[in-house]
Amino acid sequence: MSAKPPETAPAPAPPPPKNTFTVVFDGKPIEVPKNINLIDAAKLAGVDIPHFCYHPRLSVVGQCRMCMVEIEGIPKIQAACTVPLKDGLSVKTTTEKVRASRAATMEFLLINHPLDCPICDQAGECTLQDNSFGYGQQLSNFDETKRQYPTFDRTMIGPHVVADMTRCIQCTRCIRFAQEIAGTAELTFLDRGGRTLVWTHDGKPLANDWSACAADVCPVGALTVKEFRFRSRVWYLAKTPSICPGCNVGCNTSIESREEIVYRFLPRYNPDVNDYWLCDHGRFLSESLNDRDVLKATIRSGNDVREAIVPEGIALAAREIRATLDTTGPPGLFFLGSAHLSNEENFLLRKLADHVGCPNRDVVVDQSKTRKIKQWNGWIEGNEAAANFRGARDMGLSPGTGGYGLDAVLAGKASPELVVVADADFAAAADDPDKVAALRRARFVVVAARIANALTRSADVVLPAASLAEKEGTFTNVRGRVQKFDRAFLPKPPVRAHWELLLLLGLALGWGDRSWTPADLLAQIAREVPGYGGSREDELAGGELLKKGDFAWAGQP
Amino acid sequence: MDKVLSARVGKPNSQSIDTYLADGGYASVNKVLAGAMTPEQVLEEVKKANVRGRGGAGFSAGVKWGFLPKDTKGKPVYLLCNADESEPGTFKDRLLMENDPHQLLEGMILASYAIRCRNAYIYIRGEFYDGARILNRAVEEAYAKGYLGEKILGTEFSLDITVHRGAGAYICGEETGLIESLEGKRGQPRIKPPFPAVSGVFAAPTIVNNVETLCCVKHVVDRGADWFLKIGRNEKNTGPKLYCVSGHVNRPGVYEAAMGLDFEEILYGQNYAQGIRGGKKLKAVIPGGASAAILKADEIKGVPLDFDGVAAKGSMLGSAAIIVMDEDTCIVSAVMNILKFFSHESCGQCTPCREGTTWLYKVLTRIENGQGRPEDIDLLSRVGGQMANGMTICVLADGAAAPLLSGVAKFRDEFVQHVEQKGCPFAVRVLTPA
Repeated sequence: MSAKPPETAPAPAPPPPKNTFTVVFDGKPIEVPKNINLIDAAKLAGVDIPHFCYHPRLSVVGQCRMCMVEIEGIPKIQAACTVPLKDGLSVKTTTEKVRASRAATMEFLLINHPLDCPICDQAGECTLQDNSFGYGQQLSNFDETKRQYPTFDRTMIGPHVVADMTRCIQCTRCIRFAQEIAGTAELTFLDRGGRTLVWTHDGKPLANDWSACAADVCPVGALTVKEFRFRSRVWYLAKTPSICPGCNVGCNTSIESREEIVYRFLPRYNPDVNDYWLCDHGRFLSESLNDRDVLKATIRSGNDVREAIVPEGIALAAREIRATLDTTGPPGLFFLGSAHLSNEENFLLRKLADHVGCPNRDVVVDQSKTRKIKQWNGWIEGNEAAANFRGARDMGLSPGTGGYGLDAVLAGKASPELVVVADADFAAAADDPDKVAALRRARFVVVAARIANALTRSADVVLPAASLAEKEGTFTNVRGRVQKFDRAFLPKPPVRAHWELLLLLGLALGWGDRSWTPADLLAQIAREVPGYGGSREDELAGGELLKKGDFAWAGQP
Repeated sequence: MDKVLSARVGKPNSQSIDTYLADGGYASVNKVLAGAMTPEQVLEEVKKANVRGRGGAGFSAGVKWGFLPKDTKGKPVYLLCNADESEPGTFKDRLLMENDPHQLLEGMILASYAIRCRNAYIYIRGEFYDGARILNRAVEEAYAKGYLGEKILGTEFSLDITVHRGAGAYICGEETGLIESLEGKRGQPRIKPPFPAVSGVFAAPTIVNNVETLCCVKHVVDRGADWFLKIGRNEKNTGPKLYCVSGHVNRPGVYEAAMGLDFEEILYGQNYAQGIRGGKKLKAVIPGGASAAILKADEIKGVPLDFDGVAAKGSMLGSAAIIVMDEDTCIVSAVMNILKFFSHESCGQCTPCREGTTWLYKVLTRIENGQGRPEDIDLLSRVGGQMANGMTICVLADGAAAPLLSGVAKFRDEFVQHVEQKGCPFAVRVLTPA
């Protein structure tokens, strides 16, 4: 074997190309993604660069001149939002020049601002207020008459948005939102110089499907939402992560509530679902969470309806189920879930049906107009009038072998003896007298309900059930994403969450465990339902809470 | 120096292409398109001549052209002629356009040839109705004679020129404001970078040059860079130059002279403004349009009227709009009037400019009307200082601050006098109707 001449050592593999930049903030280097804005890079470094006009989803305009920083090698002070990120960039945010420029911009912004915080809804979540505390001064040297817009003040510029132009700081976020996100471009600058104001083109209303988001991006109280104006100080509101009940997109929301009243929804930032946005349809369902007709359990005998305690209603329902099982067996039962209920609740219902050996179970959903939300890389669309049809189906709410569904019942092809409706508001059919009459052919009807409708008025047992704000659980959205919603407050007794009512019914039938919580049920779902084993914690938790006028930034994209 | 740029001004029918051709016009276009010079050679000649931008910034046109990307990735290159002459005190481009429109068109044809532009625009100030009419007729004539359109003079070079009238905003004279306006948007300056040479109108590489600059280009190609470089007192500031003299002089008007003309010569010279009106003494001069710092009478001695010469005095040649104020003039009212203009013309996008110009105008009005307070004078300087040096996207705010800051610094006693006497002590107040 001839010795080969020693081969030259293979060249070491070149280091993988860096996908980050090293940026130095006030002497401290940090690695940041290449495609982000300097303001966001600073945030990663824990450095706050105050700003008004910058928003990560809107084009950079560099107009407010609040984010001024010094860049090594550039003699003039720079607006941070407009500085292209590059390797080795050295940014100074604490120099005297920077401090003075921020103070100057704050002074300029406040000279014409009415400072009417005591009567302004934005107070408490106002970027101008916050930056004034941080970078402004207490006293003003401006002794002239403040700017007024006599014919443009406190005006509805659309069905939901009220404009107070005296408060406007001309940051153009709302204009850019309407142009770049909604794509409807209702808003524009009118006039120029110190007379510049934001208004609608030709007085046409700001009436796109996401119009209230224009108020969301407003960093001051210039654009506020009619439905929320003067209803609560924001610092009294608790923020609870939730999911919009309006359709199957599953927009991440925050339920903003105080003393068991829901005041508004705000979007939560989730780049994988609704980004920073929320459609008006979903947003203004918040008010409906406060509606309640069914305060107590009721039991019907003949034409008499009497109030009862929940355990009595549950016991009666359980007794009737057993009686039905004794006479007709499982085929005499029909279990109807709901696309408004959580996965945990629909799962419980299906398990209950399994327990009594009944294959007759179903869930239905109403179709709605297409609801769209702009994402950073496209659109997400839903066209169902409830949030969780997909999840309800996944939980097994469709007729089992030999079983029948709602269609068969309504068409008279199947005649159950006893019907359990887990949510009396399951679809428009529940308030349709003909369809209710078809369901009502059953000897006994049990429903859980919050809002009265044709179905509750004819049911034998009505159990008072919680609203979305009063319970926790998960929904599965149009793309199969499983997302958690939290409880904002407890339901007022005797009202109980649907899952509790279902669990009580199960216990009365000798099935289930009194200690189960929605979290336990989710764990069972993860074990038993295909596709639900891999939900990541962060996906479940969903987006970050926002305050009006501000944005969270959670890294990529 | 013989007149170059304004040589044909005042001649009968100077606007028609026939007289222009009879005077040797379009000879450079004939020569260059016949193959005498490649586009690169034209660009090099203009670069060599160091034709400094006559719009106000004084930036070399050839260097600006050189910023165009070598590979435009299939995008067209646009030439925009900035004819939005709106700087108060400036009326030179108007003279050129109204009297010798073909000189401008020839300069644009040569510039377009050099930068390989197929479509060029003249963005003309909306109020220049006559100028637009005359230019449009000149453009038609040039098409008829084959100097514009497809395959000019039978060569592969084609060029269309469109005259576009502005709608009356000063800020559309700022080159990116002009671009936005030409695109049909609200006229407000863009963030730079990217500069227009990289991404300008319709997101394509764009060159924006002033009317007078483009006229100079014609003569550089006619007579060569060496000729151009010999005209002037300072080798970095050469060429023929139009000066606009206005205010309290005996003979206001547009004067052509070699770059670097002596400041006192233009005010007092027999061929120029012929001294201060009524034999009064000179108090102050604004040398480069309303956005330049005010110079006191004793500061102009021996100053050459060129970009570097005036800059050395802390002001700027700008558009060479020399506004003269005699000894009776109230500087407070002059500055107030300037701030009224800038507060009206601020586009409103940047906070310091939008709020600052209006605030300054309000305080100045108060002082002029006798309601000023001692602390107002420092307030003016402070607020003016807060607007300048990079605090805004464009330099309108700097331009508004310059006359104010220099006025307060150099004529502080007048401001004090206004405050102490609770009113204006001067005979000549620079006021405009409310």
